[in-house]
Amino acid sequence: MPTDTRRITGPESSVSPYSFCKIQEPQPLFNSQDLRKDGRKCDQVRPIFLKTGVVSKAQGSAYLEQDGTKVICAVYGPRAVIKKEEFSMKGQLRCDFKYTTFSCKYRRQYQQDNEEKDYSVQLLEALEPAVLLHKFPKAQVNIYVTVLQNDGSALAASITCSSVALCDAGIEMYDLVTGCSTRLAGDRLLLDPCKHEEYSSKEHSEVNNGSVTVGLMPSLNQISAVTSSGEIQFEHLKKAINKCSEICVQLYPVCQQSLSKSVKENIKENT
Amino acid sequence: MVDVQLSDAEKTYIIHGAQDNLREDGRGCEDYRHLEIETSVVSTTSGSAKIRLANTEILVGVKVELGETSPENPDKGRIEFFVDCSANATPEFEGRGGEDLANEISNMLARAYDCPSCLDMRKLCVVEGKKCWIVYVDVLLLECGGSLFDASSIAVKAALYNTSIPRLTVTHDEGHTELELSDDPYDVQRLDVYNSPCIVTLSKIGHSHVVDASQKEEACCLARLMLAVTDKGCVTAMKKEGSGSFDVSSIEDMLETGKKVGQSLNKSLMEVLVSEDRNMKKKYMTGYLR
Amino acid sequence: MAAPSVCVPGQRLCGKDSNVQPGRGTYERNGFIYASLTGCLMTEKGEDMTLVEVVRSTETTLVPSVDCLVTARVTNVNPRFCKCNIIKVGSKPLTDSFRGMIRKEDVRSTEKDKVEMYKCFRPGDIVIARVISLGDAQSYLLTTAENELGVVLATSEEGVTMVPVSWCKMRCPKTLNDEFRKVAKVQPSFIEQCDT
Repeated sequence: MPTDTRRITGPESSVSPYSFCKIQEPQPLFNSQDLRKDGRKCDQVRPIFLKTGVVSKAQGSAYLEQDGTKVICAVYGPRAVIKKEEFSMKGQLRCDFKYTTFSCKYRRQYQQDNEEKDYSVQLLEALEPAVLLHKFPKAQVNIYVTVLQNDGSALAASITCSSVALCDAGIEMYDLVTGCSTRLAGDRLLLDPCKHEEYSSKEHSEVNNGSVTVGLMPSLNQISAVTSSGEIQFEHLKKAINKCSEICVQLYPVCQQSLSKSVKENIKENT
Repeated sequence: MVDVQLSDAEKTYIIHGAQDNLREDGRGCEDYRHLEIETSVVSTTSGSAKIRLANTEILVGVKVELGETSPENPDKGRIEFFVDCSANATPEFEGRGGEDLANEISNMLARAYDCPSCLDMRKLCVVEGKKCWIVYVDVLLLECGGSLFDASSIAVKAALYNTSIPRLTVTHDEGHTELELSDDPYDVQRLDVYNSPCIVTLSKIGHSHVVDASQKEEACCLARLMLAVTDKGCVTAMKKEGSGSFDVSSIEDMLETGKKVGQSLNKSLMEVLVSEDRNMKKKYMTGYLR
Repeated sequence: MAAPSVCVPGQRLCGKDSNVQPGRGTYERNGFIYASLTGCLMTEKGEDMTLVEVVRSTETTLVPSVDCLVTARVTNVNPRFCKCNIIKVGSKPLTDSFRGMIRKEDVRSTEKDKVEMYKCFRPGDIVIARVISLGDAQSYLLTTAENELGVVLATSEEGVTMVPVSWCKMRCPKTLNDEFRKVAKVQPSFIEQCDT
């Protein structure tokens, strides 16, 4: 494991003070009225704030906020491929997903860890089918996603945010990609889970506890990303994917609205 | 993945074949290629397995070591996966060339096993909060012939089944804890892998999907769905890979196939492992890379 | 003019038939035309064709393509080729430069074997060139083998912008020294480009 040389690391055997905290009893996910901890119903998604053109230097950018989950994305390019790579007649996408070091409960390392690398790949594979790559041969587009604050569903938020940023950059796309995730708890589906509702293998050991994230191209009705964790039966998995797709379709007008708003503002400025 | 070059005509041939449930090597869409598995192949490991799936060859060695428990999970052991894409398999893996693929495979394996019912980590704990067994699973790719994820997961399951952990006796003495290793080398603890998952990769070719794609088929497939399926018919991890996308309805079909194939794969794998275990005295070893 | 309708990628614009043609910023799928860009929907009525386009106010993805004119700055000259950074495609400036290369045999169309690279380009020159191929992974291949192509701006050793005197020479107005270059016969249309 490479370590950050610019920081003085503690002794090898050091232990984070958090590990001496009392382990929190897992709280029930919903109360007697079927409401979740933040007062949402099981199938209620947190409100979304979406704004484009937030990074002036970038070709395109977007900021997405879903209560506690805050994601910023910048798109640069198409630009010349820097690395010596094989010649390709198609353009290339490069995705970089990063949690800021302070975005989670525990401090994250400055370098990309395995989860972030995994998310970068998933994000790339979610966006690739939607982009007209043959329009910029030999060049690459860089997508940088930074999670400023993580309160659950970070991957789903990043998918939506980065596809809107790509649109804002004027990269030609077949369709937008919207993301949605859900937490499975027994028979129930908790859509758009918060951090404390997200599945973790430590706390939940029963069957049908897990999470599913779906990236959908709404107008083509094609799923470009799907991932799950936790032990889930096939019937529940299907149900979860379908429910997520439904929500993804509902997100399309949100993105549309925010994009057309920025276009209209642009026109106003230019005239 | 390791690429082969195909012309358009060859691709069309494969796509049309997949549609008619007859693939280039005569298989149906839901058939695996010939699979050979052998356990206890490396004597220096705690457990090992070698798999040969057509011309994909993978060797898995499991080493167990006694280590400190992690503060987050004081009552559990750990399992760690490492994948080594050896440059023997293809020169493209030389240097850091195979790193991305290796990371992808080890991440997927880690996710598939990150589930309490797959492998009981509590059994690996020796002294709560202090000592536990750490299971290092090292996957070595010796030859690449498609379906690397599937083959590695099968080999990992077999190697874990084959793993024997020395039995320790714990004695508490005036605040000190003493560990004593049994003198009998056959006094060992085995892992229960009955509910461990196998990865099933469904490659979308044209409008149909196939399992265990050969390298040629991988070259004409844009999107793959990977499912880690347990014997009980549950999914412990799922992932889409590749630059294509799926129709919403086709995912349902793929899940259906994945369940069927995954369950029968798990079942026949366990049968083979149990029967091999029973005739411990082997007739002969087949060895590597024939 | 009424407020133009704004569309986003994936939005279905209209059905595709013989008198509708998909233009820039659109693509065709299953007999329909969809938008592939965020921008305003424009329709242009031709004689028997209607062109459907999605137009953005700001420039869209811009990459050099084969046969287009580019403006490049020379960075490196050696006897076999010179390297340059492409800074403009057509009349549109690029935000990130692309690497380009002019090989010795692509400098001019006649007497190719007598070309001496140092007598054609010097680092820092601004060149107008045509893209002949996408080249290798590293750089685009450019050519100046036309009268209208070649050096348009160059500074002398004194650091003064030189004046072209023939197709192969430029003169420094300060020292009146001649320096060799592959000079472009600048066309009025290009002057317009340079002004902007």
